[in-house]
Amino acid sequence: MTRVVVVTSGKGGVGKTTTSAAFASGLALRGYKTAVIDFDVGLRNLDLIMGCERRVVYDFVNVINGEAKLNQALIKDKNCENLFVLPASQTRDKDALTEEGVEIVIKELEHMGFDYVVCDSPAGIERGAVLALTFADEAIVTTNPEVSSVRDSDRILGILQSKSRRAAEGREPVKEHLLITRYSPKRVDEGEMLSYKDVQELLRVQLIGVIPESESVLHASNQGTPAIHLKGTDVSEAYSDVVARFLGEDRPLRFVDYEKPGLIKRLFGGK
Amino acid sequence: MTAGSPSRMIEFRNASIGATVAVLRDARPAPLADELHKMLGGMADFFNGEPAILDFSGLSAEPDRIDWSGLISMFRRFRLQPIGVRNLSAELVAAARQAGLAQLDGAELAAPTASPTRTAPARVDAPPPPPPAPVAVQAGTMFVDRPVRSGQQVYAKGGDLVLLAGMSNGAEVIADGSIHCYGPLRGRALAGAQGNTAARIITSNFGPEIVSIAGIYKTFEQGIAQNVAGRPAVVRLSGAGREQKLDIEALQLD
Repeated sequence: MTRVVVVTSGKGGVGKTTTSAAFASGLALRGYKTAVIDFDVGLRNLDLIMGCERRVVYDFVNVINGEAKLNQALIKDKNCENLFVLPASQTRDKDALTEEGVEIVIKELEHMGFDYVVCDSPAGIERGAVLALTFADEAIVTTNPEVSSVRDSDRILGILQSKSRRAAEGREPVKEHLLITRYSPKRVDEGEMLSYKDVQELLRVQLIGVIPESESVLHASNQGTPAIHLKGTDVSEAYSDVVARFLGEDRPLRFVDYEKPGLIKRLFGGK
Repeated sequence: MTAGSPSRMIEFRNASIGATVAVLRDARPAPLADELHKMLGGMADFFNGEPAILDFSGLSAEPDRIDWSGLISMFRRFRLQPIGVRNLSAELVAAARQAGLAQLDGAELAAPTASPTRTAPARVDAPPPPPPAPVAVQAGTMFVDRPVRSGQQVYAKGGDLVLLAGMSNGAEVIADGSIHCYGPLRGRALAGAQGNTAARIITSNFGPEIVSIAGIYKTFEQGIAQNVAGRPAVVRLSGAGREQKLDIEALQLD
């Protein structure tokens, strides 16, 4: 049974694509056959983050329009055996996506035996974002710890519960997970940022993880390597925890407490 | 185009619409047009093409025939779109049907609209059940189990609204009766929307952007009073006439 997971946020620039890439890679590393679809038609990025931009021949819109077969457009990931990327078209806009087309592609991925389909949603609450969440079974709502991002996430949660197929057909609602990204315990400590508890209290959604603010995310994007592969970094660890929790494992929250640097660290400089 | 579900030329879905009920005391187009003109004054666009149901319960005596085409075009001139009739004898309904109007005497329309004025007498205990509409008693409470999110709107028509998971900033909830919110009340909460001054707003966590009862509203630009902010509270309307105001009091929930 294929599970469709949408990574969404409402607001742009919060880390949806980074999360989609890391999360899909994490599922594939666990041995699940996973596809990750870029719904951001016209502003595609996922292929860059996944480091497969030079291998894009056909894209999502080509498949929807019947100009290419799905397995021609799926790009096998360079790091994971079980991971495939369906890139967005850069030259089209979001009107090129149709509900029927998206449904056909997802059904076909189901037939191909995929365990998970991860939908990387564009920002906003318009067509592209709505189509990305229409077929979702679960949603990872990506939020930065600041009020505008929280408000936009709240909005997208409402849309999720009204416009998804599950809602329209009166089935069990889409399972919601809250992922807080770009979290800086230091700034929370100094009162400059909402704490993860504040965000959770505002949104009232089960927390699946907190990803710390880190420069390694930028490095990962520039290298075209999903952040989860940067062994030993806190971001990679945090994403691994997210995947584990998603799969039902119990992991304590990490990287959320600020420890004031001690004397020795201050004298000799920590990393 | 999907295999298994051929796309159909036509698809039927359920919808419920809000319609204006026009209770007529005369069925002749000309006097009604004069009256409407007087009522609306210069505001020719007071209505905005909304659907209207013509209610003939106010006629002292039913005429032998009604000029349906005249009546319909008269209402259309005032930007109301008649879609159906109610409280009309069978002979006249047949003619109304021929003119393209539906008979809408169903139970779902049994809202207490028969009284010409909108202000219901305020009673503290149960809302008075209007005799011709027994369903209105059950039309009562609406429950919302999930959080009401930013951008969402919920309207409990004809009764109370119970929110079991709170509401967010940017959401709007409206009830003709009272609003009971278990969890944070954060957006816009409008109770007594049809003028019920006895309606209240009750919450376990008070933090709204705006509250209103029977059209009397209060905003919180200067912040919410310390004794109720984030705590259980009740909002009620006190005073009469121009002296009406909203009282917000802390509520003791052990």
